[in-house]
Amino acid sequence: MQAMAENNAEQQMFAGMETALPLLPPVQLDAFEGPLDILLHLIRKQKMDIFDIPMAIITSQYLSIIDSNEELDVDVAGEYLVMASTLMQLKSRMLLPRQEVDEEGNEIDPRDALVAQLIAYEHYRMLAEELDEFPRMQRDVFKRSVFPESVHVERPLPEADLEGLLAAFGQVLKRMKKEVLHRVVLETMTVREQIQFVTEALQQGSMQFHELLHGQQSREALVTTFLAILELWRQHVIQVIQTQTHASITLMLSVSKQSDDKVQA
Amino acid sequence: MLTKNIEALILASDEPLSFDKLRSFLEPTESSDIRDALSQLEQHYAERGIQLKQVAGGWQFRTAPTCSNIVEKLWQTRPPRLSRSMLETLAIIAYQQPTTRAEIEALRGIKVSSSIIGGLLERNWIKVLGRKDVPGRPHLYGTNKQFLTDFGLNSLQDLPDSSQLMDATATQQEKLKLPEPTQTMEHNHHE
Repeated sequence: MQAMAENNAEQQMFAGMETALPLLPPVQLDAFEGPLDILLHLIRKQKMDIFDIPMAIITSQYLSIIDSNEELDVDVAGEYLVMASTLMQLKSRMLLPRQEVDEEGNEIDPRDALVAQLIAYEHYRMLAEELDEFPRMQRDVFKRSVFPESVHVERPLPEADLEGLLAAFGQVLKRMKKEVLHRVVLETMTVREQIQFVTEALQQGSMQFHELLHGQQSREALVTTFLAILELWRQHVIQVIQTQTHASITLMLSVSKQSDDKVQA
Repeated sequence: MLTKNIEALILASDEPLSFDKLRSFLEPTESSDIRDALSQLEQHYAERGIQLKQVAGGWQFRTAPTCSNIVEKLWQTRPPRLSRSMLETLAIIAYQQPTTRAEIEALRGIKVSSSIIGGLLERNWIKVLGRKDVPGRPHLYGTNKQFLTDFGLNSLQDLPDSSQLMDATATQQEKLKLPEPTQTMEHNHHE
């Protein structure tokens, strides 16, 4: 009975809307951060009750915004279209006289999931705005800097190239002087473990490349450690420094990584 | 003399100077004396163009926010505004860390482009904490020390309290589960 009344109300509203469609200022999609942002805009702008969204109105308004922006960016079009179909599905479910009921016999509003999503997003949208208002370094507050220009003349340490690293690795392997047998064996150590090992070793300070590999017993250990070093280098967790060709190679944690660890410590 | 020394140390340090470091430089001064001197200094600067602030677990002198429009004239370029997508992504990472790109996308209801994540990584505000043990082993992101320093936060606890907002959301969501009160024609004004 109650469901019927609700549907009637919805239908009446929809009918009323067809005759006098609430006029909204035209909006550009790129002013929005996605479908949730558009829906919140529509709901808040028209002071709708977020817990009782008039699906028919919202759906038609949403679709007209999407329609008027025909040149949808293919990268994001998917999300907008998925939302369009969600809305249309909800709209039709609202028109069904039969209400769904959960285990405890309570009516399930088909809009619940969407509402929860909207509220969660609105929450973060608000937090983002608050975050933006914090006095920000270099925008609102500044710290002492003797030469402000010096930011641009920062001299990074020379970085080793992959070739240098491979050459150094070849030398370490040569030193091993072990016969290489081609065997398929179960992997006993993982790159992940070795990443852990390398980062821990570098925690104490920088290390020479050969130092780090010195303790490794097997060829497998060497290769895995080497792979771990490459992975860490790629992720900018460590820095690989070689001052000149064929010179020894130094490994150290990246500056940011080091200072972070200090905070945690 | 202690106050003078502390003031000099903090001014000369490039990074926010932690209490532990201060104490190690000032040995054998009692911690409580250092703390007193710091709060004296903090008060002394409260109304000045320079302020003594505690950020990212350390002490730092920085210009007063009210002077920003004058001070920024020292530089020709102003830092670019942060896009909403960047700010929202940053806020989600700050509150949800460790979190994955997919989780951020679920909350925002839209794709998070690599340039957003890349931009935040480049500013050193976020970092990869590890990988999540789910298929695909996606990166887990969290905020960095630089984030605290740049937003003037001493620790993550200084972020705007989201619990109150969260509670409000939770009660509202609770309401959702209750049977709806008799439907009224509340939204008549839309017609």
